[in-house]
Amino acid sequence: MGVLVFPGSRESTGVRKKRSGMMVKGVFVFLLLMVIFICPARGEDNEACLGCHQDEGLSKPGVRGQKVSLFVSQAEYSQSAHGKLSCSDCHTHIRDDAHAAGGTQAARDRVNCGGCHEKVAQAYRQSLHAKAITKGGERAAHCYDCHGKHAIYAAKDSKSMVNPTNIARTCNRCHSDKQLVKEHALGMGPTPGDLFKGSIHAMTGEVTCSSCHGSHDLRSQIDPKSSIFRSNIPHTCGECHPEIMKQFEESIHGVLAARGRSDSPTCTTCHGIHGIKAKVDPESPVNERRIALTTCPQCHAAERISKEYGITRTQVKSYYDSFHGLSYRGGDTFSANCASCHGVHDIRSSSDPKSMTHVDNLQKTCGACHPGASANFARGKIHTVASIKGEQLGEKIVGWVRVVYLVLIAAVIGGMTFFNFTDWLRKTIERKPS
Amino acid sequence: MSKKYLRMTLNERIQHVNLFINFTILVITGFALKYPEAFWASPITDVPMGMTFRGLLHRLSGVAILTLGGYHLFYLVFTERGRGILWGMIPTLKDGSDLWETLKNNLFLNRPAKEIKMGRFNFREKFEYLGLIWGTIVMTVTGLILWFKTEWLQFFPMWTFDVARAIHFYEAILATLTIIVWHFYSVVFNPDVYPMNWAWITGQMTEHEMRLEHGIELERLKAQPKGDLTGFGEAAAAGGGRVYPPHPVEGEQVSPIRRLYGTIQGLNRGIKDWKGGA
Repeated sequence: MGVLVFPGSRESTGVRKKRSGMMVKGVFVFLLLMVIFICPARGEDNEACLGCHQDEGLSKPGVRGQKVSLFVSQAEYSQSAHGKLSCSDCHTHIRDDAHAAGGTQAARDRVNCGGCHEKVAQAYRQSLHAKAITKGGERAAHCYDCHGKHAIYAAKDSKSMVNPTNIARTCNRCHSDKQLVKEHALGMGPTPGDLFKGSIHAMTGEVTCSSCHGSHDLRSQIDPKSSIFRSNIPHTCGECHPEIMKQFEESIHGVLAARGRSDSPTCTTCHGIHGIKAKVDPESPVNERRIALTTCPQCHAAERISKEYGITRTQVKSYYDSFHGLSYRGGDTFSANCASCHGVHDIRSSSDPKSMTHVDNLQKTCGACHPGASANFARGKIHTVASIKGEQLGEKIVGWVRVVYLVLIAAVIGGMTFFNFTDWLRKTIERKPS
Repeated sequence: MSKKYLRMTLNERIQHVNLFINFTILVITGFALKYPEAFWASPITDVPMGMTFRGLLHRLSGVAILTLGGYHLFYLVFTERGRGILWGMIPTLKDGSDLWETLKNNLFLNRPAKEIKMGRFNFREKFEYLGLIWGTIVMTVTGLILWFKTEWLQFFPMWTFDVARAIHFYEAILATLTIIVWHFYSVVFNPDVYPMNWAWITGQMTEHEMRLEHGIELERLKAQPKGDLTGFGEAAAAGGGRVYPPHPVEGEQVSPIRRLYGTIQGLNRGIKDWKGGA
C-alpha cells in the first residue's frame, strides 16, 4: 500500500499546544476544498475501490512474506475525518483503470499527506522520526504510524490514536517494543512507556508523551530546538509549572543550566524523567528520605564535579556526621536534610542575599526548626570537619579532642585488657589440675 | 555452707540495677545515632519514628541516671553506710602498690605469688567507681549542652557545641569499653567468681570471695563485735547473717512501699535459697 510521508510545518514549542487545533482547522479547510472541487467525482470512485477492498480476505504478500490485509472498512472510513474524500484524493497514483489493470506497482507509491497538510509536513520533516527515515533503513514513525490509515479521526475524538488519552498507547506501540528499543539503543531496562505508566503525570491523565516531546516536530535531545534539549527542559516543564520554573531560573542551578553547563541540574536531574513520582512516594528521588542520601549527593559528593567547580565534598560528608545527618540516616524525618536549610527549587549561593543560607537569613532558617534560635545560634560554621589541621578553631579543637580521646581510650582500655588478661592467665594456670 | 557477708544492701542493689538498665539504654540509643546503618540499630531505625523515639528514650534515661546520681550523693552523705562507702572509696597509696603487686603476681614475677589483702573496696573497684563518677559528670554536662542547645548557643559559639558533641561521643566509647573490659572481667569472667559474682542479686559474698578480694575487710568484720552491725536491717547478726525485716504482725498496717520492699526481699531470698540449696 501507499507509504505516507507526513506533512507539516515546523512549530516552536510555545505553539505546540495549538497544533491539534490547527490540524483540525487544516482538515476542515481541506474538506471544504474537496467538497468544492472534487466532490462530483467521489461517489463512483470509492465504490469502485471498495468493490474489491471491502473483501476482508483481500491481501497481498508483504516484503517479509507475511500476509498484508488490503481490507478497508467502509463503515470506519466513512466515519473518519477523511470520510468524505475519495480514495484517489490520497492514493493519487492509483487511477481507476490503471490499478484494475494490475498496476500493483502504482499502488506502492506513497500517499502524500503533505499534499494537504502542508505545514504539518514541514514540521515533520524536521523531526527525529523523519530524519531517521531519511537516513534510511530505520523503523521510524510515518504519518500513519501515529494517525492510522483509513480510520483517521480528529485528535479531539476519543477514537483517535492521537487523542491525548491514546497518545501514550500510540507511542508505546514502538517505544515499548523491546526489540525496537534495543535496536535503536534507547535503553536496556524498562521502556519509557513502562516508566511513564507509574508516574504521577500518567496518573493525572493530563500529561502525555507529546506534552513534553512535541508531536510532529519531535526532535532529538541534542537538537537545541528540541523541547527536551538540556537548557529547554525548565521551559518545557514550566508550561505546566510556571511558578516553579520562575524559582528555578533564579536559583544557582537554574542560572548555570541556562548557561548550558551540562553539570548543572535541570528538572529531570532531581525528579527523574519518564517515571516522575510525587514527592511523597518513597521511590521518588525527591522524597524526603532520599534527598540527602542520593539526590543531592549524586553531584555534591561526586569527585569530578566537585573538582571542576571547587565545591568540596565535605558538605555531604560533614552533614552525614552531624546530628542532622546521623538522625536522618537512621530514618528520622524531622531531622534537617539538604533542602531544609538550602531550599528546593530556589537554592542560591550563600553569598546571594536572597539565599536561605545567607548570613543574614540563617537565624530565620535555623529558627524554622529551633524556635528561639538566637543570632549567636546561627553564627558559626555548620559543615565542619573535625581535624587537627582544620581551617577553623572549632574544627581544630574537635580534632584535638578526638586525638586525645583516642590515645586515652587506647591507653586505658589497652592497659585494662592487658592487666585482665594476665590476671586471667595466672588464675587459669593456678587452677590447672596437676 | 560457708559464711556469707553482706556486700550490697537492697537499696544499693536497686541503685545498681537502675544504673545497669539505664546505662544499657543509653549505650544502645546513643550508638544507634552514631551508627545508624549498623545491623543492631535496625530495631530502632526500621521502626517508623524510631529515631525520634530513640532520642526521647536517650534523654529520658539520661535524666534517670542524673536522678540516680543525685540520690546516690544523698545516700553517700546522709546515711551512715553511705559515708562508709565514701571513705572506703578514697584512693590510697596502698591501692597503687596492690595493683603493682597483683601485676607482679600475674606475670609470675612474685614467686610464690604474694597474698594481697585489700580493704572494703579494692583498687579495681575504686578505679571503676571513680571512673563512673567522672564519666557521669562529663556525660551529664556535655549531654545537657547538646540537649539545651538553643539556650547554650545564646552565649557560646557553635564550636563549643561541636566540642561537647565530640566529648560526649568519645567518653561514651571509653565508658562502654570500660564496662565491658574492666567491670565484666571483675564480676563475670574473673575465674574467681565465674560464672558471676552474685552480690548484685543476693547482696552477699562468700567468705572465700571476701578473702580473695577484701582480705583486710574480712579481718575487720571478723574482729568486730556483732553488736556493731545493728541498725542495718539486713545486716543484723540474727539468723546467721541473713536477717529480714520481721513479718508484719497480723492486722498491722503496712505501707505499700514497705510491702514492695518485702516482696523484693522475698524474691531475693528465693534466689539465695536456690543458690544455697544447689
